[in-house]
Formats: sequence, structure tokens, C-alpha cells
Amino acid sequence: MKNGPLFLFGLLVSAVIAWSAIVLGAHGQLGGLTPWFDDGEGKSHPARPTGLAARGQLVYADLGCAAGHTQQVRRPGFGSDQERGWGDRQSVARDYIFQERPQIGSSRIGPDLANFGARKPQPPSAETLLALLHSGSDRHPAFPFLFETRKIEGESSARALKLSGKAAPSVGYEVVPSERAVTLVAYLLNLNSPYVYPEAKPLVRAVAKEEGKK
Amino acid sequence: MSSNMDSNPGRGVAGASDDSLQAEHEKLLGKQPDEKGHYRLLPLNLLFLLSAFIMFSGTYLGRFSGYFHPKVYNEYGLPPKPGADSAAAAVDPIALGKNVYAQVCAACHQPNGAGLPPAFPPLAGSEWVSGSEDRLIRILLHGLQGPIKVNGVDYVGVMPAVGPGSGYNLNPEKVAAALTYIRKEWAGIDTPVSAAKVAEIRGKDGTRQPVTVAELEKLP
Amino acid sequence: MITSTIQPPPSDGDMVGLHARGPLLTAFGLAIGWLVASGVFSLIAAIQLHSAAFLADCEYLTHGRVRALAETSFVYGWAGGAGISAVVLILSRLGGNPLRAANWFGAGSVFWNLGIAAGLVGIATGDMTSFSLLQLPRYVQPLMVFASAAMGIAGLLAWSGRRRDGTFASPWYGVAGLVLLPWALTAAQVSLLWFPMRGVLQAVAAAWYTEAVIFLWLTPLSLACACYLAAKLVGRALPSYEAAPLAFWMLIVVGTWSAGRHLVGGPVPAWIPTMAVFSFSMLLYHFAVVGLNLRPVFGLSGSVGSALKFGVGSYLLYGAVAFLACFRGIALRTQFTHFASATEQLFLYGSVSMILFAALYFLVPQLLGRGWSSPALMSGHLAGATIGVVLSVVALGWAGISQGAVMLEPKTGFGEIASGVRPYLLVNTGAQLVLLASNLLLAVNFLRSLCSCCQGSGVSTALSEGSAS
Repeated sequence: MKNGPLFLFGLLVSAVIAWSAIVLGAHGQLGGLTPWFDDGEGKSHPARPTGLAARGQLVYADLGCAAGHTQQVRRPGFGSDQERGWGDRQSVARDYIFQERPQIGSSRIGPDLANFGARKPQPPSAETLLALLHSGSDRHPAFPFLFETRKIEGESSARALKLSGKAAPSVGYEVVPSERAVTLVAYLLNLNSPYVYPEAKPLVRAVAKEEGKK
Repeated sequence: MSSNMDSNPGRGVAGASDDSLQAEHEKLLGKQPDEKGHYRLLPLNLLFLLSAFIMFSGTYLGRFSGYFHPKVYNEYGLPPKPGADSAAAAVDPIALGKNVYAQVCAACHQPNGAGLPPAFPPLAGSEWVSGSEDRLIRILLHGLQGPIKVNGVDYVGVMPAVGPGSGYNLNPEKVAAALTYIRKEWAGIDTPVSAAKVAEIRGKDGTRQPVTVAELEKLP
Repeated sequence: MITSTIQPPPSDGDMVGLHARGPLLTAFGLAIGWLVASGVFSLIAAIQLHSAAFLADCEYLTHGRVRALAETSFVYGWAGGAGISAVVLILSRLGGNPLRAANWFGAGSVFWNLGIAAGLVGIATGDMTSFSLLQLPRYVQPLMVFASAAMGIAGLLAWSGRRRDGTFASPWYGVAGLVLLPWALTAAQVSLLWFPMRGVLQAVAAAWYTEAVIFLWLTPLSLACACYLAAKLVGRALPSYEAAPLAFWMLIVVGTWSAGRHLVGGPVPAWIPTMAVFSFSMLLYHFAVVGLNLRPVFGLSGSVGSALKFGVGSYLLYGAVAFLACFRGIALRTQFTHFASATEQLFLYGSVSMILFAALYFLVPQLLGRGWSSPALMSGHLAGATIGVVLSVVALGWAGISQGAVMLEPKTGFGEIASGVRPYLLVNTGAQLVLLASNLLLAVNFLRSLCSCCQGSGVSTALSEGSAS
């Protein structure tokens, strides 16, 4: 490596080529993904998240929830994601095109949340979720700072959480979710990617082999 | 404390001055200041090792690349055939027809096809539904005005056009699907109505006033 | 400055120049400070893994943020700070000139550390970007590019002004590490923060950046130190050295193609994870040659020797483990579990940090002109670090494998999974405690060595002890 400038040039070229191949290559393939219009339903999928849900995603991101939850369902046969009720099909790139900061995550200390809003038989209600976020459980951290414990003035607020036991506030006080908590819950309950795009259909290996032989 | 501990590990290491260190290594790469310089060949065993790694990675890439296709998420998958998407998306005409019926027709003809006398004739058991395709298609494409007799009962109402160019502007595929659904559901006819036929009739007739029963009866 | 009555032995360190000592020692000191800080954050994160309620009331230390704090202070504060400084020093010594652009280095180092400090405050207050290894808030990111470039300039000038015409493996890796970080940081910031890519492409770009940090930055920095130390301590040329250039280029060219190993089974086309296997298989050649080149270190004794041994061994083990985890059949069982943390820990702590410890112990006396103040603290630190790393990697790895196996059974709830891995997580917490304690020993040793009042005892110990190997 005697030739300094050539060495530096070689370094940068190699690095740029690798970046272009992976990042720009993927961008070329997936950057222009449009929603899929279903003629039968007359609707396009995915749906844009509501404004509240979009803000909730930013709350999710800044609390670092991705450290414990993923939002990517694996395909049938590759893990037990379908059996656990996390989604009927694998997640594909089109599911994330309207998300400002997709939180696909890389760690499952807790369950996958990609289709949390469509849990069977019933996704948790907003009240249950808020209670969990406030008090935590033995395996989920609590986020009490997302809530405000304040003195009840006159009547208690309609938004006050119904808590019991150790988590309940002292007499005369109520726990009210802050805006961050409300948007976060709206986001979580909005998470749902039901539509089966053509590329998301599970592969039938026998068929693929047959077609491959032709 | 053992002699392993030394607070200044770098001192006193013989023959390892920075200069001699570099000189030794440069000799190995065969580049002396006055030499043209060429790299020595890799030792044979390393060459075999490198070839083995390249062969393995090439084989793996060949088998599991998914053809570098953006729609292939399963490494065993094949790229979709061109047009396969639209073919796959061409929903079952019955399902499409059912949707169209629910959105467009059910308001008047009712979800159960019973109609609403005296204005809206029933589709269930109607001889018009089980009869000629040509007449039925024209009713949808152009609309119908004037009285019509269905199952011996007179109905007087206005059927709007629903085909291309109308207020509903359904494409031929949707018109055909709706008719396929209606005929299967209430006349038990399995043969689908073809979208090509709908398009052909539309092309022939063009945009026109709603048909009347008298005109339709002239058709086969 | 108090002049000692005992002349310090002549050392190569004088070559670097008096003016360079201040900036370099400050940089090392601050890096050690970040190491201790990250140890605290890692300990909190480890406790929260098995006791979710720990410090839950504190908004700034909620688990997601604490993980980001630990990772950022470790990778950028400690590994980056110490690695860049060590490489600049090595390049300067090999170049044979006093350190040029020491002011640039000093300023760069100050802004680097200020940026990290401001960034950590930002992460704690909720500005983290949510991209792994790129968690520093947006307002701090450009500063990191300029700071790293400023520090790198000193190294680059040292290399370009070198007296000898040829080169040695250390400068290749060193220059690569110094030059490629500013570039990789910029590319990542542009594609993730300034003009964010759409949807899942952000995950692809973030995975690419993770590979860049591992293979284009931290590995070159630590291999630069390892090659230099190995050649110096062993006193002979590195074996199989003819294979070294290709191994270097293999790392640079092919290293980041393995971004897909973080996206196996994910919402990306199949070619991306497949490319990871493709590139990592070729990268095995790099690992094989590094093993061949650096195998003499396995015969070294002494503190620096054992740290170097452990570091190089961990690097090779990391290569094997990461390669296996690229395959879908294995990733099925290890992804999304603690196994990924174990692998990361093996690389960051077992390999990069241990090599940097060896480098610190070797290079700092040459800057100071005298030895470390306490060989006992030195071996205590290294022993603790070794035990801590082994314990935490094994505990997390085992936890991950059992967690992965159980997650494949759909009937097992997460509560059961959590109680199943709890014992391993407790061991991990213990390991983090050991690591924190041993790093405190390093910090104390460093401060005492700087302090001139300890000079007397330090020098006499150095003079009476023999050489390292």
C-alpha cells in the first residue's frame, strides 16, 4: 500500500460500492413502493395511520420500546409467529411505507406487536393498556411518568384510570394519562396489517419446484 | 507478586523498534525501495481455502438469492410471472360482483334481491335475469325507462345506467361480475358473463338514452 | 513539572512529542471515563432485564433509554475514543515523526467527548433516534462527523508523512478505521435522519450502518492495535504475512455486505439476508488469515499479552459465531433473543475492548515516560474483565438459546419464558457488576499514574521488573 492516494481512493470506493449495493439497491427496489389498490374492496392498503397514531409512534421510539418488542411477523413455518396469533401472514415491505419511523425491532423480550390492534379474540382495551403502562407487571416495566397523579377537583376526570391495589392513587387523587400515553395507546391499537398482498402470500414449495422445473 | 506483572510492558523488548518492525514486514511483501515490487503469491493452502469459501458462498447465492427480485421474500421462491399480480388480483368475479351489488344495486333491488314494489322489480325468480344476456347487459349499460313486467307484475320506475360513462362509471369487468353474481345467486346460472361481451356491446351501442322494454324485446 | 531524580529509560514515546501528550492522555482518560459510565448504564439495564421495576419511576432511565445510553457511551465514548487515540499514536510512531496536527486532534477529541455528553443527555430526555448504534440525537450527529474527521486528520497526516516508503498492516487498518467512520456516519445520517428513506429501508440502512461500525471502524481500529502490539511484543515478523493484504481488502470490500444478517426472516426481499451469508463466507478468509497472522500472541505471557490473546481469540470466535448465525436455520433459533446481545458483547467487550486495554497498558507508559502506578491494579482489572466477559457472554448466550427454543413452542407464554431465563440474567447482572468494578480499577490506576506524586513508586517498580515476555 505504498501509494497513499490510491489506497485512500480504494478504501472509499470499496465502502461506497458496498453501501450502494445494499442501501441504494434496496432503495431502488423498494423506495417506490406504492399502496396496493384492491378492486374488489375499492380501497388501497396499507391505510395511513391516524395523526394520533403517527405521533404515538414517535413516543414509542423515544421510549425505546423496540428494545423489547419487534414489529415484524415471520413467515409461516419460520417460527411460531402465526400460531401465537401475531399475524396471519409475514410482514412485507409494503406494510411500513406510511410509517415515519418503522420500529421493526430486533429483540423479543416481549411479544411481537406488528398486528397488536388485531389480536384475537380481542385486542386489549385502551383502559387495560393504560393501566399496564402505568403500573407495569412482573415482566413489563412501568412508565408512571407518562401519567399525572393529581388531586381530584370536584368530579373525577372521565379519563382517570381505574386502578386498584398498590397501584391505586391515594384517596382524593386520580391518575390521568398524559397526551403521550394517549397517543402511544392509539398507536398500539392502530397497529394492524391485515391485507394479503400478492408478495405476502405464503410459498407452496411443491408448486414452486414444479414451476422451477418448467 | 509474580514476574508476570510489569507496569511498563513496552520497555525492554529487544529487536522490536518501530523501524525494524516495519522493515521486516516490508521485506515479506517483497517491496524494497529499489525493487519494482510485486506481491508474492498466496501459499497454496490459503489459495484452496479462499477458493473453497468463494465456491460455498457462490453456491449459496445461486440457490437462495430469490433472483434478487423485490417481491420474493422467501428464499425458495420464484419471481412472480409478469402479469401474475394483476391475474392474482383479478378477484373471483362472484366476490367482486357481490361487492358491486352491495354498493350499487342493493339500495333499490334489496340485498336479498326481492326488490321493492311498485318501483323496483325483484331479481329473484325474474325471467329477465335468467333470460337473455344481451338484454340484461343493455339494461345495466344504458339504464331502463318505462314499465317492465317481471313475473307477471308491472313495475314502473327508473333504472339508472351503471356502466362506463354513467354516474356510477363501473368498468366492463365490474358490470360483468355483478351480472355473474346476480345470475348465479338468483337464477342458478353458473356461466359467467364475460367482460369482453359487455365491452363489445358498449362499444357498439355507444352512449345512448336508457332502453325501453319494447327495444329490448327486439333483441334475441 | 517535578523532575525525577531517576532518569526515565529512553522510550520510543519521545518520538511522538511532548505537545502530543496532553491531548492523547486526555483522550485516553475521557475514554476510560466513558467506559465506567457505560458500565453503570449496562448494570442498570442488566438489572432491569430480570427486575422490570428497577428504577422504573425515572423517566431518564427507562429500559429502552438506558440500553441506548450504555451502547452509545461504550461504542462512541470508550471504544471510539480510545481506539482513535491509540491508532493516531501508533500511526505517529510508525511514521517516525512527532505528531502533526496535534491541535486538530485535541480539538476533535474535545468536541467528540462534548458531543457524546450532550448526546447522552439528549437520549435520556427522549431525543434518541431509535436506530441501533446511531442513537445520538440529531442535533449532535453532525458534530460527531466533524470531530472524528478532525481526530482522523492527525493520524492521516502522520501516515502520509511517514519516513519509510513501505507500510505495515497496522497503518492499513488504522487509516481505514480513521477515514471510513466519518464517511459511514455521514451516509447513515443522510439516509436515516436528514432525508429518511421510506419504510423498511430505514431498517436496511440501519443494519448497514451497524456492519459499518463493526467491520469498517471498530475492527480496523482494534486490528491496527493488535498487529502493532503483536509484532512489538513477539519481536519477530508476523507469520503468513503475505496473505495479510488480501485479508485486509476482503474486510473492507465485503464486510458491510453482511447487513442482511440482522434482517433474516424480516420484511425485506430474500436477497438481502442471502447476501449476508455470501459475504460472511468470504469474510471467513479474513478471519482465517488474521488468526494465522496473530497466532504468536497466543504464546505471550504478562498482562498485555493475555489481554491481547483474549482479544484476538474473541475476535476469531466472534467471526465463527456470527457466521453461523447468518444462516436462516440457526437464525430461526437465535434471532430476537439474548443470543444477539451475547454475540455483540463478545465482539465489543471480548474483542475490541480487550485489545484496547492491551494497547492502553502498552502505550500509556510511553506517553507518560514512566510505568503504570500499580501492576496489581492492572492485573486485577484484566482478571476482572476476563471473568466478567466470559460470564456475561456465556450467560446471555445460554439464555438466548433456551429463550429461542422455548419461543418456537407457541403455547409457552412470555411470563414463563421470562422466568426460565431469569437465572441466566442474574448471572449476567453479576458479570456486569464485576466488569464495572474492574473498570473502576483501571480508572483509578490511570489517575494515579498521571499523578506525579505516585511517580516514585511507579518508576522503581518498573525498573525492578523484567520485560513482558
